[in-house]
Amino acid sequence: MDFQHFAEHRLQEIALLIMAIVYILRLRWLLKFKAGKERQPKTGLPGTTMKKGILYSWANIFMPWAMESTRARFFIYLQFAFFHVGVTLAILLSFLIPYAPGLLEISVLVIAFQIFIGLACVIGILRILRRISNKYMRAISTPDDYFSLILLTVWFFFATLSVPNNGGTIQLIYFLLTAFFLIYVPFSKISHYLYYPFTRYYFGKTMGYRGTYPLKHITPPQS
Amino acid sequence: MIYPGLQDRMVKNMAKNNERSHKAQVVLERFEKKLNRQIVGSLVACVHCGNCTDCCHYVLANPGDTTFAPAYKADQIRKIFKRHFDWTGRVLPWWVKAKSVYTDEDLENLKDIVFGKCTNCRRCSINCPMGVDYATFNRMARGLLVSVGIMPEGVAVVSKDQWEIGNQMGVLKEDYIETLEWLSEELEMEMNDPEAVIPIDKEDVDIVYTINPREIKYDPRTISDAARIFYQARESWTMPSDGWDMTNFGLFSGDDDLGGAVAGRVYEATRKLRGKKLVMSECGHGYRSTRCEGPNWAKDDIDFEMESSVITMLDYVKSGRIKIDKSKNDSSYTFHDSCNNARSCGLFDEPRELLQLAVDDFREMYPNRAENYCCTGGGGAMSMSEYSARRLKSAKVKADQLKATGAKYVVTSCHNCVDGLTDVIKHYKLDMQVTQLVNLVANALVEERRGIPVPEIPVEVKPAVSLSGKKILVTDDEPDFLTFLTAVLEDNGASVLTASNGDEAIRLALAEKPDLITLDLSMPGKSGIETFEILRKDDDTTSIPVCIITGKPEMRRLIYERAVIPPEGYVDKPVDEEGILVNVRKTLELVHKK
Repeated sequence: MDFQHFAEHRLQEIALLIMAIVYILRLRWLLKFKAGKERQPKTGLPGTTMKKGILYSWANIFMPWAMESTRARFFIYLQFAFFHVGVTLAILLSFLIPYAPGLLEISVLVIAFQIFIGLACVIGILRILRRISNKYMRAISTPDDYFSLILLTVWFFFATLSVPNNGGTIQLIYFLLTAFFLIYVPFSKISHYLYYPFTRYYFGKTMGYRGTYPLKHITPPQS
Repeated sequence: MIYPGLQDRMVKNMAKNNERSHKAQVVLERFEKKLNRQIVGSLVACVHCGNCTDCCHYVLANPGDTTFAPAYKADQIRKIFKRHFDWTGRVLPWWVKAKSVYTDEDLENLKDIVFGKCTNCRRCSINCPMGVDYATFNRMARGLLVSVGIMPEGVAVVSKDQWEIGNQMGVLKEDYIETLEWLSEELEMEMNDPEAVIPIDKEDVDIVYTINPREIKYDPRTISDAARIFYQARESWTMPSDGWDMTNFGLFSGDDDLGGAVAGRVYEATRKLRGKKLVMSECGHGYRSTRCEGPNWAKDDIDFEMESSVITMLDYVKSGRIKIDKSKNDSSYTFHDSCNNARSCGLFDEPRELLQLAVDDFREMYPNRAENYCCTGGGGAMSMSEYSARRLKSAKVKADQLKATGAKYVVTSCHNCVDGLTDVIKHYKLDMQVTQLVNLVANALVEERRGIPVPEIPVEVKPAVSLSGKKILVTDDEPDFLTFLTAVLEDNGASVLTASNGDEAIRLALAEKPDLITLDLSMPGKSGIETFEILRKDDDTTSIPVCIITGKPEMRRLIYERAVIPPEGYVDKPVDEEGILVNVRKTLELVHKK
């Protein structure tokens, strides 16, 4: 068994297992905190409910018009969207190469993967620049924020070049980075997606029950 | 004085040896107890995307100052959490900027953030893609600091009043009852009907009506307006003699025990009177505290209905129980959504519906509803005078928003917003006034005279104490305020003497023996507190009634702790003409009765 094969198979499985164990421990830790009880009677209009609030809250991220913060900075929102598409495809790639390499013989698919992951890599660079150049971003950034972003951007770079599944050093680096990424993620800010369903669930539940979610917008009349 | 370098070294040594001040130690011990799943989620989920930055009015009004950014402020609490409860922060604190608190100074710095740079308006929370509810854990941090006695003086004074006297403005029960009786008599005379009264402690009623103590102290007109509306609606209602303050400083101070105790008093009063419904007057934080958070703090599953008076009034108009003529409100009006009513309790449409029924010219403010900006006086900011300059600077956003409407009146369903907006309007010199829905609805009432005349028996009418012929000594170091106060009192018949410092006030008091002295507390040279003590201790001036008028509510405690008879009157700045006259008359009336 050569090192390339080990990196693409066994190493990934070990890394995934470590990640799964750490995530389970993390979820156990989070769930050991009691959820605050809400005793108050429902407020707001009859059409607003806890369930609607939760669904709206979860779907919020797919509705850039719903929040002023995404509405007003649509370019940043687009960056966010393509960056996360890139993450999804780069992860998917780490499964396709070892388990379904035949799919990567479809040239359209290869091009599509390369465009999206490559775009994510460019966005990663833009995000690094923004984090360094923007005073507010610098003030709130930690070494973990910088490292996670650089790690992902470099990973995108190697993933883009690895899509054609030609083997070699670049692909080996991509898989080594993927393994490191899987092990590092639970300890870093990248694990935010683990918390997203929880924070959004509870916030949506409260806001739905209190009649704030779904948000209703009244925009200024066009002059 | 400790030199900054030495201070840093001391802190580093303390950190190295894991030593802490007693207060820092207590804060850490209590931190863990305050954590629940929602708060932990918000503490771990922030990705530092910076999307919340421009959503905060403090940031918008202070461009370039990164310490106002919501994520930055949140991180000052988050770093403690990470250092002690989150695994990466415990093992590699520098990697995630985790840091503990060691000294009282660390806690003071945290106080400046959680009390002085955030009004808990929740605008950043609804704009966070991750659903991080910063306002909730900022409140938690406030509670932790309060538990070790670190808080703005104003918060301490108001909390103490609410714990000990039962309401946040220290209104004594007899003053409350007396004011209600006075308003009740006025209503009875106005309506020419013995049934037109403000019932106190009436049992088995449909509505128990609770208010903000500000209404008793500065704005009794809102109570009489509400009473007129209840009368016209033929409502079965009452006001409780205890548990009448539905405001709750526990929301602002983060003290759940206070929150539970205050809300509990209101619930107890409603149950004792066997009221079917608890109605709260127009107060944003009061509504949220009593209606939404109170049952959680008091651990009480409420068995009666609760609603805002906005909904009650809307119901009266829509069901025809009262008739209103909107042409009586013939100016232009805009509506300011209170953060607590709107963002935190979903009260958006009802006030607008009622406003549109009560006025002709309604102009929407933008942004509005859940996206509206805070009045900048929220989160207890009005009681924290040390942050007033910062608050008013940050109010630029609100001032621009108000100005853009072009309306002459801004309507709001929150007493805190009334004060906050009044300050904004004054500071930015806007041609605008603040009013509430209850005032507009009462003004537009098409009143039905019931035709039951008051018996011919002569009724003892208590005229308001006239200021005519009264000699009043006004003391304040601000020339503008001195001029304003003099004009108000002289216009109402008083003869006014002025003093701009304590020494001058003592000299004039001894020479002129005025009927009343108004006294500012914060003055250069001899402070108002010293002046007051000297006046009280001098046999020639001890009996002259004193009304304190101050912009520093936190100094109230200092004056009441003196070993002399407390002042007869007390007014917080900012104050308008009506507020001054009501308080001056009440002070004179009190002395007259004695």
